[in-house]
Amino acid sequence: MSYIVAPLVVAALAAVLGAVIAVVDKIVNNYGDVTININGKKSLTVKGGDKLLSSLASQEIFIPSACGGRGSCGACKCRVVSDVGPHLPTEIPYMSKEEIQKNIRLACQIKLKADIDIEIPDELFNVKKIKSRVKSIRNVTHDIKEVVFDLQGETIDFKAGRYVQLVVPPYGKMKTSTQRAYSMSSKPSDNGVVELLIRLVPGGIATTWVHNFLKENDEVELIGPFGDFEKRETDATMVCVAGGSGMAPFKSILYDMYEKGDFDREVWYFFGARTVKDLFYLEELKTLDNKWENFHFVPALSEPDPDGGWNGETGLITDVLDRYIKTKMRADKDKEGYLCGSPGMIAACNNVMTGNGIPLEKIYYDKFA
Amino acid sequence: MKMSPAMRKAQENMQPGVITAEGFLGSEEHSLRDIIVRDEGEMQRLGLEFDETAVLLKHLVEEGRKGLGEPVTVDGKWLVQTWEARGHLACPFEDGIFRKITAEIENKSKNIKIIVTDLAIHLMETHHFLEGTGSSFRLDPEKMKKVLKD
Repeated sequence: MSYIVAPLVVAALAAVLGAVIAVVDKIVNNYGDVTININGKKSLTVKGGDKLLSSLASQEIFIPSACGGRGSCGACKCRVVSDVGPHLPTEIPYMSKEEIQKNIRLACQIKLKADIDIEIPDELFNVKKIKSRVKSIRNVTHDIKEVVFDLQGETIDFKAGRYVQLVVPPYGKMKTSTQRAYSMSSKPSDNGVVELLIRLVPGGIATTWVHNFLKENDEVELIGPFGDFEKRETDATMVCVAGGSGMAPFKSILYDMYEKGDFDREVWYFFGARTVKDLFYLEELKTLDNKWENFHFVPALSEPDPDGGWNGETGLITDVLDRYIKTKMRADKDKEGYLCGSPGMIAACNNVMTGNGIPLEKIYYDKFA
Repeated sequence: MKMSPAMRKAQENMQPGVITAEGFLGSEEHSLRDIIVRDEGEMQRLGLEFDETAVLLKHLVEEGRKGLGEPVTVDGKWLVQTWEARGHLACPFEDGIFRKITAEIENKSKNIKIIVTDLAIHLMETHHFLEGTGSSFRLDPEKMKKVLKD
C-alpha cells in the first residue's frame, strides 16, 4: 500500500509547492507599469519586469543590437540616468572605464523594475521596422549574395554608410527569432529598396538562412537605419579599404557621391580578395574609375592563381595600401581613413594608416561587414 | 552516469536560445557527461591529444586571421579563412568569454574542411567537450584527424 501512497504524497507536496512558488512569483515579480523617460523628451509606459531593449522595441524605439538581445554583442548601449543598481557581470566585458562611470548600460540586460530615465541618440527616434519583400537574390561570388528587399511602398531615409538589422525568423533547429546587422549597399536615393551583400559564414545563423532558405518574394522584416559610418564633409583624400561583403557601405557611398556630382574629392578604394573568383563588381567599379578622374579603384589579390591572367596588384591589402600611401598619394594632402571589415582587418589597417601619418581620430570604420 | 551540479548547469546553458540560438548539443539525447566520456574515448582511439590538437587549431586560426577575412594558405598545407563578428560568447561552463571568431580550416590536399571557433577550441581544451552530434560547430574527432594529420 505504501508503494502507492508515498508517490502520491510526494506528488501532492510537489504540486502544492509549485502553486506556492507561482503565487509568490506573481506577487514578488509583479512590477506593474513602469515609465521609461527618454532624453527628457518622450515618456513611454510599459509593463514592468521585461528587459529595457525589448520594452523599447515594443514601443517602436529600436536600439541597435547585433545579437537580438542575447547579451553577446555589446551593441545595445544606452545611458541610464536613474539608479538601476550596479553593472551586471554580463555587462562589464563590453564596457570601458569611462562608460561605467557614465552609467552606460546594455539595454538587453536591464530589467525594468521601476520608472527609469535613459538617454539615447536622437536619431534612433527615426529608426523603423519595415516589412519588406525579397525582390531579387543574386550570387556575386561563390559565397556572397546580393539581396534586394522591396520596402512595399515604405521608404528608408539614410546617409550612405548606414546599416540595417535583418530579422531572421525561427528556422530549422532555431526556436527563436534573431537579428543581424548588415551595411546597406544601395544608394540613399533608391529609398524604396534596401540592398545587402551577405557573405556565407559557415554555421552562421543569419547567413545560412539567407544563403540556404531565403527565396524571392519572401517577406522579411528590416529595422533601421543605424550607425554613424559616413563620408565626412571635408576636402581630405578619402582612403577606403574593404574586403568581401565590406564592399557594401562603399558601394553606397561611392555611387551616392557620383550621383551628387561630388567629383572634386580624391578617393582611393582598396579592395582585397584572395583570387579572381572572390572579386565582384569589378567591371562597374573600373568603369566608375574611368568616368571619375579623382576616383582610384585598386583591387588586390593575396593568392592569385598563377595561370589566372591577373595583372593587377598582389599581396595582402594592408601591404598594397602601405605601398600606395607611400608612393602614389600626395604627401602634402590631408587624408582620412574609411574601413569596413572584421575587427582584425580594422586593427591591421589602423596600424598602416597611423604609421603613414593619418591620425587615429581621422580613421572611421564600420565593424558590421 | 551522474552529473555534478556544475555539469548540469552547463548542460542547461547549452540548450538552444540560452547562449546561442542553436545551442551546443545538436541532436544528442545523451547527457553532457556521457557525450564527453564518449568523445574522450574516441579521441584516444584516434590518437588525438586534446591539448596538442587545441594548440594546432589556435595556431591555424591565428595565422588565418592574417588573411583579414580572405582565405590564406597556412604552412603550405591548410587553407584557412576567418570571420569575426562583434562581441563575445560566454562559455556554457561559465569560466570565461570568447571572441566571436569562426575559422574554416581546409586540408588542401584532401579537400576536407572543419569549422572551429574560439569558444569551440576552449571547450575542447579545457572541458574535453567537442559539442553534440548535429551541432554546426561540433569538432568531430574523425574529421579533425583527417584535416589535421597526414
